[in-house]
Amino acid sequence: MFEIRLEEDGRIALSGRLDAAQCGKAQAFLDGIEKPRVVDMADLDYISSAGLGVLLRTQKRLMASGSGLKMVNVNSHIGDIFRFSGFDQIFEIQRAPDA
Amino acid sequence: MERHFARSFDSLDGVFAFIEEYLDAASADPSLSYPVSFAVEELFTNMVKYNADGPDRILISIEPLEEGVKVSLVDYDSDPFDANDAPPAPVDAPLADRPVGGLGLHLIKHMVDSLHYEYANRRSTVSFTRKVGSSDVRNKA
Repeated sequence: MFEIRLEEDGRIALSGRLDAAQCGKAQAFLDGIEKPRVVDMADLDYISSAGLGVLLRTQKRLMASGSGLKMVNVNSHIGDIFRFSGFDQIFEIQRAPDA
Repeated sequence: MERHFARSFDSLDGVFAFIEEYLDAASADPSLSYPVSFAVEELFTNMVKYNADGPDRILISIEPLEEGVKVSLVDYDSDPFDANDAPPAPVDAPLADRPVGGLGLHLIKHMVDSLHYEYANRRSTVSFTRKVGSSDVRNKA
């Protein structure tokens, strides 16, 4: 089960599993984002390379205007995947306190 | 333990459930779940995308190793493609030069201990092994 929503404080909250079958839902939501946002991944359990593609496509579009997404509360598995993808060079990433 | 899955992204929930079912039944270390699921998703979705006209089923099998698992995916009536030959992903490139896509096979190599490919009679079999802790992504910087 994957969910993506805009919180009252302006954060984008992701939860569940962002796999290839859920990328359309994630991309449709993120295509509606027009300004830099914090993406809270505290409840995101899993991301695949298809999910990375969604984030990368969004970052390219937003950074064309100067600033993009910042990922926070990233768990250890996802943080490692970001690092091995080189995402730590193109996104601001903050790991969860226990990651 | 083996099972066939329909050639569709919609099969992924069932694929993940199958992996968890095996790991639970084998009382396997929970740390295997993420890397095995990740590698299987990448290999399975590649078969879905690049052999879209293939027979409507893909076989996934999991068998025990000491402190780990061996997973195989079989795609019937396919053209050859060895994931070991995939070009490296430009993970150090600036944002503007990053292609969207192409990271999956790069990341698999960080998550598995071995990746083996066989092709015979138009049948592709890709297998990987993963042991507990032996190839944790944090140890492959």
